[in-house]
Amino acid sequence: MITSEAVRSAFREYYFRQKLVEVPEIIEQREFGYTQFGKPGMVRHLSFNNAGELMAMLVKEVPSDVYCSNALYRFPTLPMQEKQWQGADLIFDIDGKDLHLPCMSDHSYPVCSNCGHVSHPAEKEYTCSACSGKKASYVSIPCTKCIEGSKKEAARLVEFLIGDLGIAKENIYLYFSGNNGFHFHVSDESYRPLDSQARSDLVGYLAGVGLIAESIGVRRSPGSDLAFVKFPRSGLGYGWRKRVAEKLDIKASSTVRLTNIIREKGGYSAFKTELDRITRQMGVKIDPQVTTDVHRVFRLPGTLNSKSGLAKVRCDLEKLESFDPLEDACLLGSTKLKIRMKTHVKVRLRGQTFNISKEEAELPAFAAVYFMCKGIAEAA
Amino acid sequence: MPLDIGKADLAKYPFLNEATEYVRKYLDMEELDRPEYRHLVDRASERIVTEVNGKKYDRRNEYGREIDDYDKEIITFLFTFMIVKTLGIEPVLRKYALFEAMRAEGFLSKDLSLEPTEIRLSLLRKIFQELFGVTIQIGEDARFYKVKVTDYLKRASPFHEEEWKLINRQVNNGYVYLHPDETVRLFRSELSGLIYKRIKVMNLQTLPSSVKSKVEELRTSLTPRFEYSSIQVKEYPPCIKHAIDLMNKGENLPHSARLLLATYMLAIGKPIDEIVGMFKNAPDFNERITRYQVEHLAGSKGSRTKYSVPSCDKLRTENLCFATKDCDGIINPIQFGRRRN
Repeated sequence: MITSEAVRSAFREYYFRQKLVEVPEIIEQREFGYTQFGKPGMVRHLSFNNAGELMAMLVKEVPSDVYCSNALYRFPTLPMQEKQWQGADLIFDIDGKDLHLPCMSDHSYPVCSNCGHVSHPAEKEYTCSACSGKKASYVSIPCTKCIEGSKKEAARLVEFLIGDLGIAKENIYLYFSGNNGFHFHVSDESYRPLDSQARSDLVGYLAGVGLIAESIGVRRSPGSDLAFVKFPRSGLGYGWRKRVAEKLDIKASSTVRLTNIIREKGGYSAFKTELDRITRQMGVKIDPQVTTDVHRVFRLPGTLNSKSGLAKVRCDLEKLESFDPLEDACLLGSTKLKIRMKTHVKVRLRGQTFNISKEEAELPAFAAVYFMCKGIAEAA
Repeated sequence: MPLDIGKADLAKYPFLNEATEYVRKYLDMEELDRPEYRHLVDRASERIVTEVNGKKYDRRNEYGREIDDYDKEIITFLFTFMIVKTLGIEPVLRKYALFEAMRAEGFLSKDLSLEPTEIRLSLLRKIFQELFGVTIQIGEDARFYKVKVTDYLKRASPFHEEEWKLINRQVNNGYVYLHPDETVRLFRSELSGLIYKRIKVMNLQTLPSSVKSKVEELRTSLTPRFEYSSIQVKEYPPCIKHAIDLMNKGENLPHSARLLLATYMLAIGKPIDEIVGMFKNAPDFNERITRYQVEHLAGSKGSRTKYSVPSCDKLRTENLCFATKDCDGIINPIQFGRRRN
């Protein structure tokens, strides 16, 4: 059997019995798109009037990935310039691989660009053991540390959204992305009209990029690198000023401590660099492209991700800590499928540990599809 | 609850709907032609000329007060409206709108920083609500006003100064906390846009003859300054020179560099034929396609959006910036060489 056919039929079964696909608000003004198994490119500029039409497409086409615009358009099916943009929901993407965690190299499997051979993660310089090729693309099997890392970022974003931006909890929809990260959809009409520039400003705020030293009262003495402290007349009471003040243990009543910190760092420029480092570290690692693109199609909640066979599922804000994507988003059936492994791998899926060292294996669909989607196995 | 706006407020904010109502109620248009109003036509003209020269109009009486007689002030404003409308010179209208907005901004920020009484607050709320559709509130600390984060972002994100970036603001629970003068600054361009629009849609039927003759006088003195002159570019900015160099060498320019070159040439008024010709050395040159693309950028084909020249910021991220010291802090290549000394 061809691998893509095996995966596709498992996807078909999911869409037949699924109950999780979410129908977006104002569906008739959204643009939909999908990709197909074994075919390049995306079918875009689609529109559905209701849930029934959307579900019918999923069952009929069995797409490899399904996307929906966060934007609302007057004419969603027309070419981009003629769609007439009416606004877009605020969205965020936290991707595990952007966190650059040290564990990454332990579970990145090199796939030879020349012969397709999959090797074990190796720290030293890559050489394909089959054809001696030097070039490879990497497949990552996220580990617990990666998942915990993105969960931490997600929790931090929730804090910012509620505490700083005042967005109501019930308007924040958090999802596991279906592979290695989290997606946020904010359903708050006041954010819909914001253009790309305004969203970019917002991204800077959330990511901790662009805080000037003057905001916390550090000013440069003209013509030198010396700095003096004069707290802003509006104080250090809220937002990033408060965050940084707390981090550096500065009280608005005395400039002594801050003055000492600047001196220790070695002047205005050095302090500025340090401040930038601190704020970036305290900010949330969101993908700026996703949030600032107001014409994007974004993975539709409840659909499957062909990079893993896992689903993009809703994650309750209260249950984020106990959420386990390899359990809660692993929703394909259990029919046995025969696969041929390209490398040895150990993963825990839906409560079972799959530690596969032999070449051929018969595994439940949810596990078999996971390995095939990851590109480390093929249908036998 | 209808709010009774006093004459004093109308004199400061004569673009409010109430000011028009007031004039309509108490003034006969024909009456405006009477000799005792002549000096107000002169004052209106003086105000316009000051603003066109790029200065804020600030006329103080002998006691140092900006506004002495409220009626006179309102009528003067009405005259400026009539004159600017009838003149019909676009750059005059734009300058006028900007400086009138800045003038009102001064009053507004003074009003906002006074001890907030109930009456004053409701006036300010009304101004912000009526003119900008925005609710402003007093912060927990009464020295601040607070506006919703989204209302802030919509207006502040085009500002270039770093201090206006959201991260440099006091943000809490969905609100941005601002000082009175900052609150007002946030709305400046909107206010000027509003004044501009009011004049554009204004329908003038009869005009006092004193205004008519003043308009003619101003037309003679102002027109030569605003006659259409295409921008004389003595020297291209380094990013453009670089793109032209590559193009002349027959190198394949990336899309972003072609966009820069075409939008820049359009902005300085080069004819489309000539711009198309500039691309003839490109290895993949196809006159028909290039022409369509240039016309598309000019806004005459396709989406009808006229594309502007990418900012220096954008060019830096695209590695297309080759700044020299002559660039001298410009933020868009189009400003190169145009700075006043």
